[in-house]
Amino acid sequence: MRKKVLSVLLCAAMATGMMAGCGDSSEPASNGGTTDDANANNDASGGSDDADDASGGSDDASGGSDASGGDVSGKKFALVTKSAGNPYNEKEAEGFEDVIKSLGGECIIKHPVAATADAQVSEIQSLISQGVDSICVAANDENALQAALEDAMAAGIKVSCLDSKTNAASRMTFANQAGTTEIGQALMDAVYDIAGGEGEWAILSATSQATNQNAWIEAMKSIMESDSKYANLNLVEVAYGDDEPQKSTDQTQALLSKYPDLKVICAPTTVGIAAAAKVLQDQSSSVKLTGLGLPSEMAAYIGDDDAHSCPYMFLWNPIDVGRLGAYISAALVDGTITGAAGETFTAAGMDNSEYTIVDAGDGGTEVILGAPFKFDPSNIGDWKDVY
Amino acid sequence: MAGKSGRTIEATPQDVWKKRIFSWEGMLVVLFLFINIFCRCLSPNYTVTNVLREMPKYLSEIFLLLPMAYILMLGEIDISVGSTVCLAATVACMATNAGVPFVGVIFITILTGTVCGMVNGFILLKFPELPSMIVTLGTQIVFRGIAEIMLGSGGSVSVTNTAGFRALSGEIGPFPYVFFLVLICGAVFVVLSIKTTFGRSLYAIGSNSRTSFYSGIKVGKIRFLVFTLMGTFAGLAALFLTSELYGANTTTGNGFEMDAIAMAVFGGISTAGGKGKMVGGLISAFIIVCLRIGLGQINMNPQVVLIILGALLICAVLIPNISASLGLKKKKVK
Repeated sequence: MRKKVLSVLLCAAMATGMMAGCGDSSEPASNGGTTDDANANNDASGGSDDADDASGGSDDASGGSDASGGDVSGKKFALVTKSAGNPYNEKEAEGFEDVIKSLGGECIIKHPVAATADAQVSEIQSLISQGVDSICVAANDENALQAALEDAMAAGIKVSCLDSKTNAASRMTFANQAGTTEIGQALMDAVYDIAGGEGEWAILSATSQATNQNAWIEAMKSIMESDSKYANLNLVEVAYGDDEPQKSTDQTQALLSKYPDLKVICAPTTVGIAAAAKVLQDQSSSVKLTGLGLPSEMAAYIGDDDAHSCPYMFLWNPIDVGRLGAYISAALVDGTITGAAGETFTAAGMDNSEYTIVDAGDGGTEVILGAPFKFDPSNIGDWKDVY
Repeated sequence: MAGKSGRTIEATPQDVWKKRIFSWEGMLVVLFLFINIFCRCLSPNYTVTNVLREMPKYLSEIFLLLPMAYILMLGEIDISVGSTVCLAATVACMATNAGVPFVGVIFITILTGTVCGMVNGFILLKFPELPSMIVTLGTQIVFRGIAEIMLGSGGSVSVTNTAGFRALSGEIGPFPYVFFLVLICGAVFVVLSIKTTFGRSLYAIGSNSRTSFYSGIKVGKIRFLVFTLMGTFAGLAALFLTSELYGANTTTGNGFEMDAIAMAVFGGISTAGGKGKMVGGLISAFIIVCLRIGLGQINMNPQVVLIILGALLICAVLIPNISASLGLKKKKVK
């Protein structure tokens, strides 16, 4: 009897606790509370910060707001990264935050506790409660965020992605760091430049089924055929190192022995380029290397002299990815764009300031960042500790 | 005053109330209220609507807490549930994609979980000397391995027809269906643990399984039952988790077992077995969920939230020990 009373009592207490403790249910729901929240959050983030942003941002913002035609000051922009402790993501967040602050918006960066969709869902739900104006997410899973992001869009929040996308139904648009044509063009120009405009060259790719690499190789081939400038370049072989260091090393050595006149190897994969760089540098080979590589892994091989195997290479610049994501969020919030293909917007602070939304081929749309970022001896020192 | 058994037969009603409020569960209720008021003060968005909207994702973990509490009461542990959730969620997605009607999907998912639980239970039934920690460590790896093979090279599967799962994640007013289900299951588990022979056997086995065995309690059978129940609820959790994520991948359910154990321990259920109350586990689960939601809303770094939860857990384990040792000292002085 005693225990029965006790348990009933506790259940009742729990239920009333839920009601009483959770606060006033008559208050407007999540998205309604935006204006109240602004004050509360200002208090939390500290007055001095805000003052800085406002003064520092005013001159930048004037340029941006003229062009985009809307005002996003005081709006809340959120970025959900893949996980904490991911240096690449942290650089993206840095770029995102810079732009949002310069536009006078309030920036919330959420680093989930683990690199799982599950952890991101919690963060997104929490952001919906806070009534943010926009959520930009680097998705850990293409489909798993759909329910949460649909909730967000239903609550009037503008949803976009950067770095890695969600499926078409759960986003408005996507800041794509890697446009296929842009990468093909950059790599082709690098090969042309390093080979001196003529000679034999080879590709060291990942696996023969790798979607990204195959798309880039196709792009390079079609660029090579379409322009007579590349007529004297002879692609002798596409080798596959399967993204395994040892196999990539073996394939590089095979290329060297098969083609004594080889001038350049292009490796559009981070594993392949690192393996090839080591082989070429260890053998003091005259063959040069370019491709897509991680600065941290490639720092030892990048140099203009004969002692280094790679004059320069490419990858995306995470800071710019973050900045583009921020400009997309801002344009979505101020109504310049809705995420439909063909719309244009201005990213005042970026090199390529006019961006167009294009069809992404998955039923959704995307914005392509532009040419990949070039890592050469002049900047590799700054980037090798970043990612 | 108190006898060796801890009972005070001659207690007046006033004393009883005092005892109730100062019991661990009483403290938890107070803490629960305090946490809610605290979160409400911190975040203006901490409203009933918002909390209930954020809750379903966490509620699926409470499904795991319920049978986990029983397992801990038995003095056992099951660390394979996260993997069971992963496997059941994978099966749920694949069954849906194969065109199985949604009622069938529900059945298959729960069945998958139940079978996983039965595997654990069966091994422990046939080899009672094996520690459950090691057995479930093994099955943890096995279940996730099977899920990973099913998921294939991509490592993830998503539901193509989400209609059924959408219906499952529906709401009555601001209350999601799963909220009611958790409360109903919670109530059943509480009543089972305090009102039935089964419940008393749990405590008896947890206190001393050999004595229980010689007193005629079917130790093996009960253990088998509880582990199977754990699997069933893991299947249920997988179902509701899938209705939030519309898919499964190799990381689904990672760490769920530890969250469930943490909730139970925080609720005063001892991992040594035979101690603690189901209701405490349930309240502590809501405390942890509310705290996570509240701190998430003020954008506290999730890593810091983890540290806070960890510290709370250690306090929860320490306080009874400290008060017990204080009690001992008092007695000695007397």
